[in-house]
Amino acid sequence: MTAPVLKFESETAQSFLEEVMSRSGQNIIACYQCRRCAAGCPVGEETGYVTPDRLIRMILFGDREKALSNDLVWKCTSCYTCGTRCPNEIQTARITETLKQMSKEEHIAPLAPKVAAFHHAFLTSTRHLGRLNELEFMGLYEIKNTFKDLWHLNFKSLYNEGISQTKLGLAMTKNKRMHFLIEKVKGLSEIKRLYKKAKKKRDSKEILPDQG
Amino acid sequence: MEIGYFPGCTLHASSRLYDVQTKEVLGELGIDLRELEDWNCCGATSASKTDDFLAIALPARNLGIADASGLSEMVIPCSACYSRMLVAQSRMASNEKLKAEINEELSEKVKGDIKIRSILEVMIPKAESGELAEKATKKLKGLKPVCYYGCLQTRFPLDIPVPDDVENPQGMEILLKALGVKALDWSYKTDCCGASAAVNDADTAIRLMSRIFKDAVARGANCFVTTCPMCQLNMDAYQNDVGEACGISERLPVYFITELIGVAMGKPVKELQIDRHFVDAVGLLKELDLI
Repeated sequence: MTAPVLKFESETAQSFLEEVMSRSGQNIIACYQCRRCAAGCPVGEETGYVTPDRLIRMILFGDREKALSNDLVWKCTSCYTCGTRCPNEIQTARITETLKQMSKEEHIAPLAPKVAAFHHAFLTSTRHLGRLNELEFMGLYEIKNTFKDLWHLNFKSLYNEGISQTKLGLAMTKNKRMHFLIEKVKGLSEIKRLYKKAKKKRDSKEILPDQG
Repeated sequence: MEIGYFPGCTLHASSRLYDVQTKEVLGELGIDLRELEDWNCCGATSASKTDDFLAIALPARNLGIADASGLSEMVIPCSACYSRMLVAQSRMASNEKLKAEINEELSEKVKGDIKIRSILEVMIPKAESGELAEKATKKLKGLKPVCYYGCLQTRFPLDIPVPDDVENPQGMEILLKALGVKALDWSYKTDCCGASAAVNDADTAIRLMSRIFKDAVARGANCFVTTCPMCQLNMDAYQNDVGEACGISERLPVYFITELIGVAMGKPVKELQIDRHFVDAVGLLKELDLI
């Protein structure tokens, strides 16, 4: 697939570029498009024309809409291969993490709702007990998926999800990998305070520079 | 020698066997573990992908507790916990403002003193000094493992010095050599298994795991060895789907490095909980007359 021609948006390009650079801590303008990142990206075959180098290009050209919502942002596994191999030390996985956060702040519907639901359920369970409870976490995640599938009358997805999770659950139980003990952190109030502070920062759009 | 121990959520739940084995094996090597008091979840990739502040603040609480423990180092067997704690420590060391903001909320403040070690880092000196070979006397003949490191044992989002080769790590190979096992060369030792994609984007994860699995089989391996509980669970629990997707009927057990060392030390299967795998992990050991 060939890439569409990029349009340069001079007015918005600079502020967008500066925000992504500051939040991700990555020196995006150092990219000289050698594509070592693309060559090593494990999800490169899954993300259409958006490889790490092209994502950087979108940001440089101020193509905000595409940069905030594309398959690489949602399929990136944060394996950090791109950044480890970049000759200019640009960690593109940090950029995908930043863009995911920015797209949420701008209320853009996630391209991969299951990925968003997964991380949300993970952090909800962690806030609740201070430690991740695998059963609670998977329960929260599946409730969200089920509602979404029912809302969209997507019965095929509902069925597939049910089958695969039941299969995993049964196998885990059979192999004694399932644990039902609930562990709760004594200093949970500290965890709650940290979550509160994180929310305040998100709400006030306080940028946490990732530098130095 | 007593060192701190951070198990993390997984080692207290679906990978409890890794917790059990870690204590058994390190104890045998004269390393006593003191579990961090009242530790909390490190946030894993869910925090790092969705909240920059929590991604540092959650591991920070554990760092504060570790700094107050009076211990000088702490071992973290889970790769995700290991990497998130290293990142948090490094970010706070270079950002006083962030450190102060987080410390404000913590009863045990982060000083930044505790040395964070991977499970390989604490065992390699024992291999080099000959202590490991002394304790692990059973030679694991017939084992043809590929060492699978995954992502977070050597790659971090920040420039953190890595105690091994980033592209071709050797830590597990060094330990196996002390047990008389020669690990096979292969091309996917640091490739990504898809991690949480196995649950939320299964097609992608199966394709990633297929490449890893195909190379291991093509090289003639009869098992995987890993240190990462996420890699272990994925390659183990989804191996049937992966095998079907790439038309391979063979199944390879996915051992934690601590399992093989435990077997070489003569510890029983039940004690090491090797019978808790998805792909049968006991059969191969029996077949090779190792247990």
